[in-house]
Amino acid sequence: MTIVEELGSLKSSVLADIASAQDTQALEAIRVAVLGKSGTLTAYLRNMGSVPKEQKAEVGRAVNEAREAVEAALEVAKADLSARELAAAIASDAVDVTLPGRAQQIGTRHLINGMIDEISQVFLGLGYSVIEGPEVETDYYNFEALNAPPDHPSRSMQDTFYVKDLSGESSAVKGESDVLLRTQTSGAQVHAMEDRTLPIYVIAPGKVYRRDVADPSHLPQFHQIEGLVVDKGITFGDLKGTLDFACKAIFGPERRTRFRAHYFPFTEPSAEVDVSCAVCNGEGCRMCKGTGWLELLGCGMVDPNVLQMSGIDAEVYSGFAFGLGVERAACLKYNVPDLRMLLEGDMRFLRQF
Amino acid sequence: MKLSLIWAADYVDVPADTQAFCDRLDLTGTGVEGVEKLGSALEGVVVGHVLTCAEHPDSDHMHVVTVDVGEEEPLQIVCGAPNIAADIKVPVATVGAVLPSADGGFKIKKSKLRGVVSCGMCCSRRELGQGNDHDGIWVLPEDAPTGMAFSEYLGQGDIVLDLEITPNRPDCLSVVGLAREIGAMYQTPVAFPLQADAAKLDGFTAGEPVADSVQLTITDPDRCQRYTARIIEGVQVGPSPDWLAERVMAAGARSINNVVDVTNYIMFLYGQPLHAFDYDTLKGEDGTVKVIVRPAEDGEEFTTLDGVDRILTSDMTVIATPKSAVALAGVMGGLCSEVEDHTTTILLETATFSRAHTSRTSRNLGLISEASMRYERGVDDVPIADISAAAAALMAEVCGGTVRPGIVDLYPIKSEPVSLIFRPQRFNAMMGADIPVDFVVDILERLGCQVKPSAEEGVLDVVAPTFRPDLEREIDLYEEVVRLWGMDRIAPTLPASPERVGMRERSEVVRSIVNDTLRASGMNETMTYSFVEPADVAAMRMDGLDLGMPVELLNPLNADQSVMRQTILPGLLRSVSYNQHHDTKNIQLYEIGTVFSTASGRKKPKERTRVAGVLAGAMREDGWNQHQAPFDFFDGKGIVENLVRELALPKVRFKELSAEEAPQLQPGRAAQMLSGGTPIGWVGEIHPLVAAAFDAEAPIVAFDLDMVALEKASRPARDYVDVPTFPSVEVDQAFVVAEDVTHEKMEQVMTSAGGKLLEEVALFDVYRDDERVGAGKKSMAYRLIYRAPDRTLTTEEVDKAHAKLVKKVQSATGAEVRG
Repeated sequence: MTIVEELGSLKSSVLADIASAQDTQALEAIRVAVLGKSGTLTAYLRNMGSVPKEQKAEVGRAVNEAREAVEAALEVAKADLSARELAAAIASDAVDVTLPGRAQQIGTRHLINGMIDEISQVFLGLGYSVIEGPEVETDYYNFEALNAPPDHPSRSMQDTFYVKDLSGESSAVKGESDVLLRTQTSGAQVHAMEDRTLPIYVIAPGKVYRRDVADPSHLPQFHQIEGLVVDKGITFGDLKGTLDFACKAIFGPERRTRFRAHYFPFTEPSAEVDVSCAVCNGEGCRMCKGTGWLELLGCGMVDPNVLQMSGIDAEVYSGFAFGLGVERAACLKYNVPDLRMLLEGDMRFLRQF
Repeated sequence: MKLSLIWAADYVDVPADTQAFCDRLDLTGTGVEGVEKLGSALEGVVVGHVLTCAEHPDSDHMHVVTVDVGEEEPLQIVCGAPNIAADIKVPVATVGAVLPSADGGFKIKKSKLRGVVSCGMCCSRRELGQGNDHDGIWVLPEDAPTGMAFSEYLGQGDIVLDLEITPNRPDCLSVVGLAREIGAMYQTPVAFPLQADAAKLDGFTAGEPVADSVQLTITDPDRCQRYTARIIEGVQVGPSPDWLAERVMAAGARSINNVVDVTNYIMFLYGQPLHAFDYDTLKGEDGTVKVIVRPAEDGEEFTTLDGVDRILTSDMTVIATPKSAVALAGVMGGLCSEVEDHTTTILLETATFSRAHTSRTSRNLGLISEASMRYERGVDDVPIADISAAAAALMAEVCGGTVRPGIVDLYPIKSEPVSLIFRPQRFNAMMGADIPVDFVVDILERLGCQVKPSAEEGVLDVVAPTFRPDLEREIDLYEEVVRLWGMDRIAPTLPASPERVGMRERSEVVRSIVNDTLRASGMNETMTYSFVEPADVAAMRMDGLDLGMPVELLNPLNADQSVMRQTILPGLLRSVSYNQHHDTKNIQLYEIGTVFSTASGRKKPKERTRVAGVLAGAMREDGWNQHQAPFDFFDGKGIVENLVRELALPKVRFKELSAEEAPQLQPGRAAQMLSGGTPIGWVGEIHPLVAAAFDAEAPIVAFDLDMVALEKASRPARDYVDVPTFPSVEVDQAFVVAEDVTHEKMEQVMTSAGGKLLEEVALFDVYRDDERVGAGKKSMAYRLIYRAPDRTLTTEEVDKAHAKLVKKVQSATGAEVRG
């Protein structure tokens, strides 16, 4: 057999091996056996020197041809096999994507504070600062500076928790003292007017207390967000526009507001604000007791007495204030059936929000 | 305030569409709390015509009657009343009707009375809840339409509104005042009845002047601005005529007798409380009456009309004879001078009393009456003589008798109408509206003000009526006009200020970071009660700690909630218990809230904001690919460490707390957290005895940190450190040390010995084994990272530094190197 014939048969046997290789590993073994340092085809290349001169050209061509053919075949086979191997690997890696993921537990925000965050965000956007005030107040900040002197009938509208006054002073009314758990966040208004420079745009979220026995619709402690604006040229229309904007931002753009004239000692004119019922869209249903409206907050133009008591000239400045019950707002938004759930710490409830 | 629409219609046009009327009332400031169709409680009661009346065959006092109730067949009813007779009209409760009764309702059934079938009941007034008369059947006028629903007959379809009158509107606590309000709401005329009612008195006057028999003294005019008395003689006390009883009942009172009903009727009509005394009980030995309005004596005993014995204070005012008090001024009359059936002469009091004293008296005695409610809001002293005349005339008309001429009238302080200005331009600027001056004038006049143009151009002079004590300032008039113009007609705008910026205080920002970090750490925010049991501190075993005095409530809802909390933990532990008892074992709760303490001599207590958390069980249930370790001390500490990182707290260390320092925690699993030497709070495992005291299952990991301390220690930003460009060398090194050598100690020694080249020390294993490590010892394995910022370290450099470190650790801690 001539060298050229040998090369021909080597080539065809290698090509056959390549064609039958099962995986890239087998393919690599073939490559090493044929083209590696001591490969069969390499040996021919290395032995070219001993090939008779007249055959060199022919043998050389045959070797090169064989090598090119093998390399080409290897390449094709490799591409094919690696694609198949990848496909197989991917196929075997598949998981049931409906199995639960591997996550850290994320904690939850209390519904009420979540609501306060949401409302604060709206007012921050409107250019209001967020302030805080104490939960135990003196009578002055809770009532008197808000235009409700000691015997004002409006005081009986709010049943107040009184705190033992250890300073030795006593109150005119039995069982009361000058120190109390604030019944409204409105005291923050007075602090803001005393402590801040004009103009004032603030909201004061916080806990307030009233002597109501806890039941599905009452809690002795709940939250309000007080708002106060004092600036030149503030109008009742500004009050309406601000609260209308806030209600839509919080409850949805399709909600409407309604202002009902009312009375609060520290604002005048005063109003209560209703928001249209989301359940019936104002048509009247059980949720809104057939009225189509849900009571949300109290508001009004800051009474000039309140401004004057804090040393602000009521002829130059005007302002508005509002107080919103957060639990009420949360109930309107989430339909919580029993307010007491807010204070139980039941994980099954808290984890919903 | 209950308003009968039929009654109101005597003076003003009331819209026929009650729903629309109520909406308008609501929007203009008179809240409608209820709408009652009168008599709807009397369903099944009809007007019956007694056809026959025969004696009961088996009873000496009962009768068997047949009654036409408008049905095809008359009903047979057995009746025990003495005044039953044939051919009279009576109210009949048919089978199925439920009559009002003290215990909630009495249902009429078909029954047999001594063998005779009875299909209903003929009723007395009292049985129908329409008065006290129980002497016999309520005999109706002959023209009562047989078969008509009794409610319809009685109320003639009257509707009673339950109105919320705000404290600034004493004038609206009367039918006439509400008529005026309705007139202003609809800009429609109102007919005021007072002058005509008062003029009727002339027809009933007789006898000696009243001044001959009554002497008045007011010792403190500040408590009583005006006191008047009239005498009505020869009255016959008895049931009121139907029209009068109906009116007072529609207004929400019981019909008591004709005298009392007249005083109530006049009060509901004009808003002026009146009191009728039995004149004879007031008379002194000389046959005249001396009435003294004086402060009560401290400790003075007095029995009010409701039969309750009360102890008075000098802040309260009484109406007295020289002998004794006979009424509690402005609040309630006395039992001793009550009008009774045999009373023949009435002394009629019409007066005003101080708002403040009445309010305090009422609150101190826990006694709110129709009178006190009106006096504490303010009763107009000006029309008192006319109202007294109208009342006396009506009493004589209804009860018989005559009125002694004249009035005894002490009037030390007269209210003067208040003069105000109204600047329409400023008003419109403040409302953001364009409300015409004509409207302003019309509304103010309808509300009882006198309005005329002021000397100053474009300004109105307004005189407010004395019955509107709330109209003291210009702004008070603005409110009146805008509410009646309609707040809904004012266009919404936003404030135009260029100067406002929305800012959050640093405390708010820190609170947000704490909230976000705790949530990211898997904690769930909760809220608990601010008031707790006084014994909670002891249950926490913290009674020996210096927490200050607890803040006590003077009027707690119950003993379990009588002090303000001094720590948040008891509330959280109760929630742990609640969850564990509701089959939730994995609990991660936290609360940010206020705690309170005080000290003797302090007026206001101290308030501190704290953040506290509890962990029990594990973070979650084991998953298909995740195992959850049960919580221990280090889960709590890890959460605190997250806060340390997020708030960039400097120089933080955790110091072991002893059993004395933290009795609420399990000793050995309790640490104080400090930043820059300042204590911030603690983390640890709750003492098993504390857990048991709150009925919660241990172990419970907890932490409690002071928010103000956190805020003060926190830094707004962490420092930037260059990202390394040269490679590091890691060396793992285990030491065997005695149990009492802390990680903190090891870390300190290594950090100081490692010098500049030591970049990081990380503990990766703690191992105990009596045989391999030795009893009382532990192996602590650290990963040490060496790096220079400016070059690649050579092996020799690292070896040298590490050898030095090992040597230092050995000499400082007695550690052995573990191979």
